[in-house]
Amino acid sequence: MKELHDQRFTSVAEIEREFSNAGYICNREIATAIYIAFNLHKPILVEGPAGVGKTELAKTTASILDVPLIRLQCYEGLDESKALYEWKYGKQLLYTQLLKDKLNELLGTTHSLAEAMGKLRQQDDLFFSEEFLEPRPLFKALHEERGCVLLVDEIDKSDHEFEAFLLEVLSDFQVSIPEIGTIEARVKPIVFLTSNNNREMSDALKRRCLHLSIPYPEPELERRILESRVPGLSERLREHLVSFVHQVRALDLKKLPSISETIDWARVLVLMHAESLEPKLVQETLNTILKFQDDIEAVNEQLDALIADSEQPMAKTGG
Amino acid sequence: MQQMLQDFFKAVRSHDITISAAESIEASRTAELIGFDDREILKLALSVTLAKSVDEKARFNDCFDEFFTFNSFQQDEESASSASPAKAPANESQPPGQSAEEQVASHYEGKSELVKMVMERNRVALANEMKRAARSVGVTDIWLFTQKGIYTQKILKEMGMQEINQEIAELANTTCPRGKAQAALLRQVRKLLLEEVRSFVEQQLSLYGSGTSKRLREEFLMNTRLSNIERRDFHRMHEIVRRLAKKLSDTHAKKRKQTQRGVLDFRKTMRRNVAYDGVMFETYWKTKNLERPRIVCICDVSGSVSAYARFLLLFLYSLNDVLMQIDSFAFSSHLVDVNDIFKEHPVEQAIELALKEAGGGSTDYGQMLRDLKQNRIENSDNLRNIDHRSTVIILGDARNNYGEPRLDVMKLIYQRAKRVIWLNPEPQISWNTGDSVIGKYRPFCHLVKEANTIKQLEGLVDNILKHSLAG
Repeated sequence: MKELHDQRFTSVAEIEREFSNAGYICNREIATAIYIAFNLHKPILVEGPAGVGKTELAKTTASILDVPLIRLQCYEGLDESKALYEWKYGKQLLYTQLLKDKLNELLGTTHSLAEAMGKLRQQDDLFFSEEFLEPRPLFKALHEERGCVLLVDEIDKSDHEFEAFLLEVLSDFQVSIPEIGTIEARVKPIVFLTSNNNREMSDALKRRCLHLSIPYPEPELERRILESRVPGLSERLREHLVSFVHQVRALDLKKLPSISETIDWARVLVLMHAESLEPKLVQETLNTILKFQDDIEAVNEQLDALIADSEQPMAKTGG
Repeated sequence: MQQMLQDFFKAVRSHDITISAAESIEASRTAELIGFDDREILKLALSVTLAKSVDEKARFNDCFDEFFTFNSFQQDEESASSASPAKAPANESQPPGQSAEEQVASHYEGKSELVKMVMERNRVALANEMKRAARSVGVTDIWLFTQKGIYTQKILKEMGMQEINQEIAELANTTCPRGKAQAALLRQVRKLLLEEVRSFVEQQLSLYGSGTSKRLREEFLMNTRLSNIERRDFHRMHEIVRRLAKKLSDTHAKKRKQTQRGVLDFRKTMRRNVAYDGVMFETYWKTKNLERPRIVCICDVSGSVSAYARFLLLFLYSLNDVLMQIDSFAFSSHLVDVNDIFKEHPVEQAIELALKEAGGGSTDYGQMLRDLKQNRIENSDNLRNIDHRSTVIILGDARNNYGEPRLDVMKLIYQRAKRVIWLNPEPQISWNTGDSVIGKYRPFCHLVKEANTIKQLEGLVDNILKHSLAG
């Protein structure tokens, strides 16, 4: 069976090509980061606003390398019993009850308490074997036969303790389970950590990771992304749409539209057979890119100016 | 190549980006993997490994461009014959009467290798020689502009300027025209070298020194008494204070909120399952509830502390920015709730407003305490009152204009609150002199400290947060 590291990316350009074939248009920086991560076995910490394709990057990597993607969604209060492993307490308790007779039988032949204890001791590891272990994402990722892409999503939502706990996994690709011992990765996974900058990550974590920040894309890149994701969109409309979104991003809004919103909007426009950005149509579909009523109102006020500007050649509105 | 990377790391560090030893190893491996052929990719690759935030990335890019403009890779390769960027200016700065000079050059009879190099216009060799000299005198340690002269001299000496000087001196007494021409030529060469090396050192300074001098300035500001800091540094102070406050909140803020799910609580599980004849179907988990502490911060902005008021408010503002549960007040006599002002306005404006609302008058701690009692002890909304989870911080000099100190209220606060901390911007030596009544308040505080530099404030608040959040 093919392993994760059987494949080799030989150059940054190759990665760019592979990703674009898989439908993920990435810039040089992203490709370089993946190239290093792949060849030097380093985790990547990806930062950027919501919806710029951080999670998508991990998914695409997994599909290109043809390995499973294991995802660990972080949240406040996440601890190792949710992330790494847990004993199946219920099963353990149930088994002790069900096996009562068997235990009686086993211990019935003994004559003293010490002897019974001795006999029991020979068996007790049974209850703390992998049979009773509930594997969680991190454990699974280390156990994966062919390697995998591990996505630790929204690490900034987790607690400091969990971040510290992750350090062992990230630097050595191993974890310690008190009852069983140290478990090493069968194949070192490619690790992505994503963060929305809700809080600053600790230096220790940053030190172990490559740091990649994905900002809102340049107009050119965004056009290419749209081209690949929404093929039905006419070229002219694509230009206008990207230019419009870029202008909206320059406004002072609560939540700026990111790539995923642009793509959604493009899909909506295709669905409605739009040929150009009509004010009425824009007004009606604005809720696909803006998620707050305040924002929608703010944009509505300037709608005509924005549309007029977006009809201008892109050179003026770039960035 | 390794040496060059080391120099580069040093330059990056001076741009305020911390690189640990492990990271520098990582970066070296990265450079090895990527190779030095594609500069664009090398830049991205090193930026991904070394710069760990958006801010740092911007600084890193500047530094990279600056560093590799005159450290271009072709230069280190011997095969390179093209003019290196570093020596390009040399070409321009050469005097116009070059052809005449070259004629003389062919007649140069001295023994200085350096002069020969200049005469042969062997720029690559010269640049390498200069770099070698620079490295051996450790020019990367430069960090102040006053050191420019000394490093220039050191490098020149290392390159063999003495020989040239000596030859000029020897030729000075000669009367033969040829000797004079030689001397003139040597002087020309000396001037050229001097200019070249000086500009090189200037570049090095901007590369390695920029971060350091900024750091020095900040260090100075942090340790200067608040009353001695000038208004024009306010902007920079804000940056420093904001960073400190961010650091404090990063270390402490997260602790406030979590209900940790722990391990199996065996005793409770057993007890709960008695009903099932001891068959343990229901499990019970140990949980840990952390309480949410609150901080009530009261800042004196009256005339007596006017020199500090601005910075105390700045500090308070920054804390407000980063801490969720902080209740801020400013006062001269009557207590003014500044929470909303801080929430709604940017820093400069907020401080002006707070000063306008509360500041200027004569101090009356008694009135302040009376107001505090009304607002935060006898408030009908119980949640806003000071209770056993609250930490009360008072920033002020306790100069009460011989008014009624209202110790009874202070005592009440002391009994109610978890901790009462008084930070006094006055130096301890002038406590209890004149109308200062800090001594009277002292028994009702858990901690009274002098705090008149940002550094002290930081240490104290760190301490406060640690204590108030730990329990």
